[in-house]
Amino acid sequence: MGSPEPLIFSLQHFCVHDGPGIRSLVFFKGCPLRCVWCQNVESWKAEAEIGFKAHLCIACGRCVERCPERAIASPGRRDANRCRLCFTCVEACPSGAMTRVGVRRTPEEIVAELRPEFPLLRDSGGGVTFTGGEPALFPEFATDVARLLRSEGIPVALETGGLFNPERLNPLTAELQLILFDIKVFDGEQHRLLCGSENMVIKENLRSLVQATRLGQGPPVWPRLPLVPGMTDGPANIRSWAGLLRDVGTPFVTVVPYHHMGTVKRAWLGLPAGPDLRVPGDGEMAAAAGLFASEGIRAYHPGEEDFPAEATTGRASASG
Amino acid sequence: MATPLQTAPDRTTAPGFIAATPRIAGIRAELLATPYSICLERPRLLAAFRRSPEGRRAARTEHPLVRRALALSHVFSHRRPRIYDNELIIGNMTSKRIAANYYIEGGSINILEDLFRLNRRAVPLKMGRTEIAELLTTGVGNLFRSVGARALLRPGRFSYFLDFFRAKRHFVTEEAGIGHQVGNYRMVVHQGLRSVYDEAAKRLEEGRLGDGSALDADQRAFFRSVMITIEGIRQMAENLAIEAEGLAGRPDLPEWRMVELLESAAACRHVPYQPARTYLEGLQAVWLVHVALNLEDFEQGLSFGRMDQILLDLYRADIASGRLSVERAMEVTAGFCLKTCETMPLYSERVDQFFSGNGVAQAFTLGGTDGRGSDVTNELSGVILNAYAQVLTREPAVHVRVHRATPDWFFEKSVELLQMGTSRPSFFGDEAVVRALEHAGMSTEHARDYAVIGCVEMASQGRTYNSSDAALFNLPLCLELALNQGRRFRGRARIEGSRRCGADTPPASAMTSFDDVLEAFRAQVRHGVDDMVKVITWLEEVYRWHRTTPVNSILTEGCLQKGRDVTWGGGLYDYTSVQAAGLADAGDSLHALKRVVFDEKRLSLEELVGILKDNYRGHEDLRVELAAKLGRYGNGDQEADRMTQLAADAFADAVRAHRNTRGGQYVPGFYSMTCHVGFGKVTGALPDGRLAGKRLSNGLAPVDGADKLGPTAVLRSAASLESRKWMNCHALNMKFDRKTVQGPTGRRALVHLFRNYFSQGGMQVQVNVLDAETLRAAKRDPASHPGIVVRVAGYCAYFNDLQPDVQDEIIDRTAHGLS
Repeated sequence: MGSPEPLIFSLQHFCVHDGPGIRSLVFFKGCPLRCVWCQNVESWKAEAEIGFKAHLCIACGRCVERCPERAIASPGRRDANRCRLCFTCVEACPSGAMTRVGVRRTPEEIVAELRPEFPLLRDSGGGVTFTGGEPALFPEFATDVARLLRSEGIPVALETGGLFNPERLNPLTAELQLILFDIKVFDGEQHRLLCGSENMVIKENLRSLVQATRLGQGPPVWPRLPLVPGMTDGPANIRSWAGLLRDVGTPFVTVVPYHHMGTVKRAWLGLPAGPDLRVPGDGEMAAAAGLFASEGIRAYHPGEEDFPAEATTGRASASG
Repeated sequence: MATPLQTAPDRTTAPGFIAATPRIAGIRAELLATPYSICLERPRLLAAFRRSPEGRRAARTEHPLVRRALALSHVFSHRRPRIYDNELIIGNMTSKRIAANYYIEGGSINILEDLFRLNRRAVPLKMGRTEIAELLTTGVGNLFRSVGARALLRPGRFSYFLDFFRAKRHFVTEEAGIGHQVGNYRMVVHQGLRSVYDEAAKRLEEGRLGDGSALDADQRAFFRSVMITIEGIRQMAENLAIEAEGLAGRPDLPEWRMVELLESAAACRHVPYQPARTYLEGLQAVWLVHVALNLEDFEQGLSFGRMDQILLDLYRADIASGRLSVERAMEVTAGFCLKTCETMPLYSERVDQFFSGNGVAQAFTLGGTDGRGSDVTNELSGVILNAYAQVLTREPAVHVRVHRATPDWFFEKSVELLQMGTSRPSFFGDEAVVRALEHAGMSTEHARDYAVIGCVEMASQGRTYNSSDAALFNLPLCLELALNQGRRFRGRARIEGSRRCGADTPPASAMTSFDDVLEAFRAQVRHGVDDMVKVITWLEEVYRWHRTTPVNSILTEGCLQKGRDVTWGGGLYDYTSVQAAGLADAGDSLHALKRVVFDEKRLSLEELVGILKDNYRGHEDLRVELAAKLGRYGNGDQEADRMTQLAADAFADAVRAHRNTRGGQYVPGFYSMTCHVGFGKVTGALPDGRLAGKRLSNGLAPVDGADKLGPTAVLRSAASLESRKWMNCHALNMKFDRKTVQGPTGRRALVHLFRNYFSQGGMQVQVNVLDAETLRAAKRDPASHPGIVVRVAGYCAYFNDLQPDVQDEIIDRTAHGLS
């Protein structure tokens, strides 16, 4: 997985939970993980997809009429085997019910679209965050975009799930001001079950990124734990991660409460419904923070972190 | 009587703000528990005056200006003073704790439409049986005394009178009253009304104006009206002083309260006639004059101006001398804020569709610059913000001026207040506002001394007669008329037949380019504005003879120099301010029409018009495509934004082509109260995919749901519009999910967001911070959700006071910032 040129499935602005200041987010399509609680399931496949938002559909039948492959029997019923992803149906659809997920864009195009936000990003001490999906699957492309942004004085952060080839990441880290590193399930077997892969590489990558920071060869690394009731909020899981964070040398973590704003996206993509999960209450958030604290790890709410100064001030290019 | 004081409810305490004292919390709780009503004391006193020998003599012999002043003075001096428990600022607004004044000269008569269900309305008005009977006789008995009736119940004007009941193209609010003023409270506080009284006396004695020219009869009458009016206000203050002394003498009263009442009595004997000596006297003076202003014309938009500037010297002197602590200053100011809750407007449920929310917007303006452009934000700005944070009530309105040098602490404090959920303050960009005021003819120094009138309207305080909010205009309807030779698509045949209600523009088949359509649209806008101006002109005549406003004239520079009442053109700056609803719908419709008919040539203009006339029946796919797939205003899309500018210019240019009968310029603005709902009901399908009857876009905001890229793009689009001509400002309403803006992170984000908006030249922005779930719950069960304040248009209202469809709008509006 990981073609050199990724698809982008969204740009979002005025975000305040994904790094310091006000940020614009670039969503890369393609992810090696399959976390059962994922709220961005459209990021999983690296290839473009067609989504169907039933609530917007007015059943006009344009998609059925226009499909050259006759792959659509009736609105919303598309035969994926026949579909060649020509997106004729998406163009024909008047309401936006048929939607294309993932567009190829050049780094210049991405930066041009972000540019109107630059004054706000600069003034607020914010920047751009690459997220997804897993942007680290596309280190060359991400590096190109980051270089363009930095040449205009915009700091760049990477949000990663940690499963990537560390050897390919190097030119990118030199362009980054911050890495937000998602940690999820500590136990390897459980991780395989809940997130679809082993987590040895993830732990190794965390360790080596922090090591690089310490050597002045990489940006600060900031761990983040999505708090998913019944999945990541167990005391054992939190204690184990706390131990590793202590050991690695990042005695802080952002606890991100699970939300289900993206649950509906599964239906858009024709995926089976995910597990029925709760949003953690304030009490559960406080309990998790308390548990981390008892292990010597300072826990933060998203958007309230004390990021190191170099994460906000457009750090000079690292020695690498 | 001193009642046991309750502790402040949770909502009045917030981190970073000093909490309300038990006194303030107690008065607030009492006000929140008080039902609304109607006060009939004013019409009663006016009738008594008319019947009295003095009144009869005045009617026979006196100049209309003097007659009016005598009548008003009679009201001021004969109304019963009422002092409520534990008040620090005294002076009742009406004869009841919370009530609307009934103005026989204005539109109050509309309430008779609800006569038999006053107590059962969505917002009940508590009235006893005999009171309801009196309301009926008052309404009917004064039917022909209203300005609207005098101006329009005449041959050839009757259909304009009917327009009050079937507003389509415009809604002329000036019929109800002019109100809307930021008076010269700097004079009231620092010189006292005595300065004006003495000046008037001198002019009469010399028989000359200040410039030496001889007084004519009208000018003599004016100066007499000023003196009579001030005497009335003095007597009103004296009556309050006597009442306070009477209460202070009651044996069951604790010592501390006795001292307070005697202090109030002393204050009312001194101000507003003499200059205030203390911070408390300053506020007391402003309040008494404000009450008089409310009793004069009508209650809408009577504002206090830049109190953090006007009262600063008194505040600092009191603090320095130890007479006042910061906490006490906040308590007095919070008490002042609570006094503003005693009034409300009188709207029938029908009229309430257009002006929902029971707001009158008595506004404070804080921060900003001095005449040279230097920042003058000060500690009192913070004290007043904090005082409002202690009450969080539907009145007063709080506005904050922002410029490059606005200090961070004040901006953050303002946003912290915003986070508390009452949609206050709203923010004004000094740069754009001052530019617009200069463009309308003000000197730079005067423009920089602007304060906000009511919701968003602007005046150089104490120098301007804006007659703002004179009328609301339905802009998208002009496009409907342009596409159908001046006729509505589906006029109600029974009432108007196929009557042309607009200009005679060419049929669709004859319009072969977008420019033809644009020209027809402009012609319809001009025609509609001309018609609206005609009605206002008739009203202005009547005002001059039957409804002059001496209090307002006392508070407006220029009147004493010219010897003219403001309604006669006395104000230093004179305008008539009108505003359009549905700007984004008009702009997006021009954009969509241009694209599909003239650029892409997908269908002919006639075909499109046929589809619109049929309300998109059978063309739902085209309708949703027009709504969902074309670029729209609010997304930073330059082409769409340009079309919105064209629509705005059409209105602005048509409006600015007129002068009122006082010689003042007509000036345009873009805000809609809730008229976008009422106008929407009578507006046909539009080319932007909006169905007939649906609400129009609100103020300067994008069409609901049309903004897809979030708040930064909305603000970019708004700031990109050229606002120099918009002397009557605009309302840009944004709704934020509470989660998005909570905590220090959310606060900083909003500060940066707004600074960025204003640095792009933004003029105004206001925010609702709430979560949709709370509001849905409030809609289902209003009783359990009292006190939720939302911003409806330019003003704030309790959610429960809103019409159900306006509640739905508040719920539906895109919650920005959620991913």
